[in-house]
Amino acid sequence: MGYLSKASKTLRQSNYLSLLCNSNFNFNPLTNRITHERFSVTRALLCSQTRQNSTTREKSTIDLSQYPKELVRNFSIIAHVDHGKSTLADRLLELTGTIKKGHGQPQYLDKLQVERERGITVKAQTATMFYKHGVNGDDCSDGKESPKFLLNLIDTPGHVDFSYEVSRSLAACQGVLLVVDAAQGVQAQTVANFYLAFESNLTIVPVINKIDQPTADPDRVKAQLKSMFDLDPSDVLLTSAKTGEGLQQILPAVIERIPAPPGRSDSPLRMLLLDSYYDEYKGVICHVAVVDGVLRKGDKISSAATGQSYEASDIGIMHPELTPTGILLTGQVGYVVSGMRSTKEARVGDTIYHTRSTVEPLPGFKPAKHMVFSGLYPADGSDFEALNHAIERLTCNDASVSIAKETSTALGLGFRCGFLGLLHMDVFHQRLEQEYGAHVISTVPTVPYIFEFHDGSKLEVQNPASLPSNPKHKVTACWEPTVLATIIIPSEYVGPVITLVSERRGQQLEYSFIDSQRVFMKYRLPLREIVVDFYNELKSITSGYASFDYEDSDYQQADMVKLDILLNGQPVDAMATIVHSAKAYRVGRELTEKLKGVLDRQMFEVNIQAAIGSKIIARETISAMRKNVLAKCYGGDITRKRKLLEKQKEGKKRMKRVGSVDIPQEAFHELLKVS
Amino acid sequence: MLKSTFTPIFWVLTPKPKPPKLPPQAITNTFFTSSTTHVRHNAPLNPTTPPPPSSAYIHLPFCRKRCHYCDFPIVALGSASTQTNDDPRVSNYIHWLCREISATNVDQPADASTITPLKTVYFGGGTPSLVPPRMVASVLDTLRLKFGLREDAEISMEMDPGTFDAEKMREMVVLGVNRVSLGVQAFQEELLRACGRAHGLKEVHEAIDVVKLCGVENWSIDLISSLPHQTSEMWEESLRLAIESQPTHVSVYDLQIEQGTKFGRLYSPGEFPMPSETQSAEFYKMASRMLSDANYNHYEISSYCKSGYECKHNFIYWKNKPFYGFGLGSTSFVGGLRFSRPRKVNDYINFVQNLENGLVNSSVKGHISGKDTIMDVVMLSLRTAQGIDLKSFQESFGSSVVLSLLEAYKPYVESGLVVCLDEHRRTIRIDDLNSSLSKTNAEGRVAYIRLSDPEGFLLSNELIALAFGVIDSWKDMPPYKEAEAT
Ligand SMILES: Nc1nc2c(ncn2[C@@H]2O[C@H](COP(=O)(O)OP(=O)(O)OP(=O)(O)O)[C@@H](O)[C@H]2O)c(=O)[nH]1
Ligand SMILES: [Mg+2]
Repeated sequence: MGYLSKASKTLRQSNYLSLLCNSNFNFNPLTNRITHERFSVTRALLCSQTRQNSTTREKSTIDLSQYPKELVRNFSIIAHVDHGKSTLADRLLELTGTIKKGHGQPQYLDKLQVERERGITVKAQTATMFYKHGVNGDDCSDGKESPKFLLNLIDTPGHVDFSYEVSRSLAACQGVLLVVDAAQGVQAQTVANFYLAFESNLTIVPVINKIDQPTADPDRVKAQLKSMFDLDPSDVLLTSAKTGEGLQQILPAVIERIPAPPGRSDSPLRMLLLDSYYDEYKGVICHVAVVDGVLRKGDKISSAATGQSYEASDIGIMHPELTPTGILLTGQVGYVVSGMRSTKEARVGDTIYHTRSTVEPLPGFKPAKHMVFSGLYPADGSDFEALNHAIERLTCNDASVSIAKETSTALGLGFRCGFLGLLHMDVFHQRLEQEYGAHVISTVPTVPYIFEFHDGSKLEVQNPASLPSNPKHKVTACWEPTVLATIIIPSEYVGPVITLVSERRGQQLEYSFIDSQRVFMKYRLPLREIVVDFYNELKSITSGYASFDYEDSDYQQADMVKLDILLNGQPVDAMATIVHSAKAYRVGRELTEKLKGVLDRQMFEVNIQAAIGSKIIARETISAMRKNVLAKCYGGDITRKRKLLEKQKEGKKRMKRVGSVDIPQEAFHELLKVS
Repeated sequence: MLKSTFTPIFWVLTPKPKPPKLPPQAITNTFFTSSTTHVRHNAPLNPTTPPPPSSAYIHLPFCRKRCHYCDFPIVALGSASTQTNDDPRVSNYIHWLCREISATNVDQPADASTITPLKTVYFGGGTPSLVPPRMVASVLDTLRLKFGLREDAEISMEMDPGTFDAEKMREMVVLGVNRVSLGVQAFQEELLRACGRAHGLKEVHEAIDVVKLCGVENWSIDLISSLPHQTSEMWEESLRLAIESQPTHVSVYDLQIEQGTKFGRLYSPGEFPMPSETQSAEFYKMASRMLSDANYNHYEISSYCKSGYECKHNFIYWKNKPFYGFGLGSTSFVGGLRFSRPRKVNDYINFVQNLENGLVNSSVKGHISGKDTIMDVVMLSLRTAQGIDLKSFQESFGSSVVLSLLEAYKPYVESGLVVCLDEHRRTIRIDDLNSSLSKTNAEGRVAYIRLSDPEGFLLSNELIALAFGVIDSWKDMPPYKEAEAT
């Protein structure tokens, strides 16, 4: 219990930040789940989240009015990455006949191509199921009809970057299934997600999953749950989402332990807008939780945030595909199509009510906090409009990205984007390319700093280029964002992990044992230090056994400097970074070396320099190209030479130019790899 | 006389009738003298019908064996074949070649008096010197019949050591061959062997003696630099021996490793045993230095000549003027259309039959787009020491493109890779260029843009591609089109 109070204090702001790791992650060496190319996905993903039901099922006969809120249960499945949430969701959907067994792909609710390729859940997904259950353990075989319950299941992402999705999902729930891997036990996101649920006063149903594994040790996990979260071992359910063992107890536990939604069916309508996305055919589709009252098809509704009114032209449930029902009752979760033109009108967390009624708006959500920023530019400068369009469309389905236009002398017109974390950024890039065919150059991700100048003015810097290299007024102070990091590791790795964290300027806040083999540590770390390769490094020094989670915390003063990269004396704005002064030399050397490796030789010598202000701290030189001579045009056949030269010209066209130096796109990609 | 013989670089400018005899000296002068009589201010930007060609390239594809660097359309006859009199492959090919010439549509003016007889004929290969003189004669006769052939026409032939003797050489001279391009390639036995040449050093010396003995005044030695295992001592020796042989012309080719050749499989550029980029740049510079010192003009990227001995035929290419092409794999440029013939013998025969039946037309009148023409002109002119003649360039394409080109080249003028010249071919200093660029009539002062020798020539690919970029950003021009025989 000691942990509980202590941890819950430090975890008060439930606004989790991202776990930053690199794109080819391989989350779980234990289950050997390499997430790339687990599925070959050929399905077109234009309207990635809509699979209309009507063709595969007989016409909807669902009468929601049979499900007063007493017969409704809303719950999320939460867990650490890879502990089996989506697989468990599959089993529950099959068990209730919502999807056919053996049909569809595993992790049915992971619909995005990125999700399927990476084997992770990125977006929370809701599915409505119906389940007969005799209350108080009644057997339904005695001929007496047991009541049928309407169950809303929300599968959530485990990855820390998407914990914002978890908090939103919890707002529509009264309880959670807290899933823990029977072999891995409690991990960092288990802790984080537990507190999210606990602080929202939700009923927690602990489920130990994967008990089929040979290394499963449910008793040890039970003990951990007891000591860390004070969860009673006798309440813990054991299952295997793989074999189906223990599956039968889950839904009865959901119905019996989790309370029905608290809303009032006789009050005016209040709906919480949970999520929205854009569908090619239907337009904006909103996911809503009906908190009070009833929504009927054709109702006039208004948004508390924008004051705009709409008509609910199509409403229904996700079963698991959009299934029209014509009505949504108190406590139910479903979708509404209302003729909104853009998801910008559909603010997540908004309260929706009947036009002309007066209601108290629901508390809503805290806005997502963007902690990692990077510039996104069209790989081919002339494609700005195409990229603009793609970003607009994608942000319709991922409202958690902040977008602002910016210009770079090196890269032209582009966007400054704020992300919840590096994985989020990575996923955003991937979706841009896969779903919208955009080709982008991304600049080195940075965290937002605050600089104070001699004249007392302050500047928030989301783009290093916007910080003057030789400011009019001297910089007098700088603040950087920090995070509170949770690290859980087997005790034998404590030494190397402490070394790593102190190299990253970490400050230990807490150190304790979960059980005899596992250590729980809390650190304050500069966000910048975990942005690039921290998680990979942590995994590699712990043979993959470390788990890591963090949440954002206060700004702290730090000695940060702007590091410019100059090519033949010209600064390349898109390559500027802000680094800790103690690391500037090393980073400067690494950057210049990297660039030397990727820049082509040019017709003149190219000097690559790293500089702080006017002080050069590292340099490399690429000697001039000596020869690229045009061969003979044999027999007057100049067409071949023409083609060759045109190809060369095309190559040049794809390059970015600063001064007279041509920079290939790979140069920008390579720089992303330097911490 | 000089003014009237000046041939504008672009066919959009109608050529004036030529006097019958044109001494080599006069040709040179036309190239290095700026014409001040261009008055064609109204010269249309839209192409008119180009003049018919007065040059013909004839491809004679036979070789004893394929050299290791070669990716041309050739027919290897076998190493033993030094005499090809009775080889049916040769006579059969010549037969089809003549049929192609005869079947070609000519668009000569109705008025027979203005017909343009051929001024240059070039036998390239392959190894043209393998072909029996009587067959060469029949080709020349066919050409004469079809197009006319001027008395003073330059008739060049590529000849390889070991494929001809004095008798054969004399017969060729009698037929009218008056320029020989001798494929020596190297003066080192081991390099000749490494290249897979069908001859040795002994044959090289014999061939040089034969050419001189037979009184061929205008002849060239062809050398290849950057061969595998080539050292700078070897290269120096080759250049020295070439100079000592006193040809009127030297061609120096920098070896390109082509895909699909034996070298392509064995080597990659810049890696041992190929010389490094720096080394092969040094080879190029050495050639430029030694040949200039020996009084050869470096008049084109890979060509050097004694004064007045430029290859007239090649100049047709570099001036972007039309030419016929006959034979396997050859390219013609007629009516604004570049046309490549099939590279395989059977396909070629088919093509000739189709041509005879009117199913294909190798000289359809096409209008080459302005952008294409500019690119071709830039690419070809920059190969020459004369460079781009801005005056006619501007008349044909307007001054804005000239200005953008000058702007793009400015850094390279500064670094000495590109040279701007005034109408008297005096170098314009960079400061003067800068100040004149800011004025509206800047292009007026700069009469020529050329690449410097040797640094600019060495980077010609880069510099020309740069110019292409400038031209390309001219959005309103149609894209490049090209026809190929199928
Ligand atoms: N052996 C065994 N493997 C399981 C079980 N449940 C899930 N898995 C496997 O564990 C891996 C992760 O499963 P998911 O369902 O995608 O996990 P998740 O918690 O949804 O993962 P994220 O959404 O990325 O956080 C998959 O390879 C599953 O096949 C189980 O009960 N036993
Ligand atoms: Mg999942």
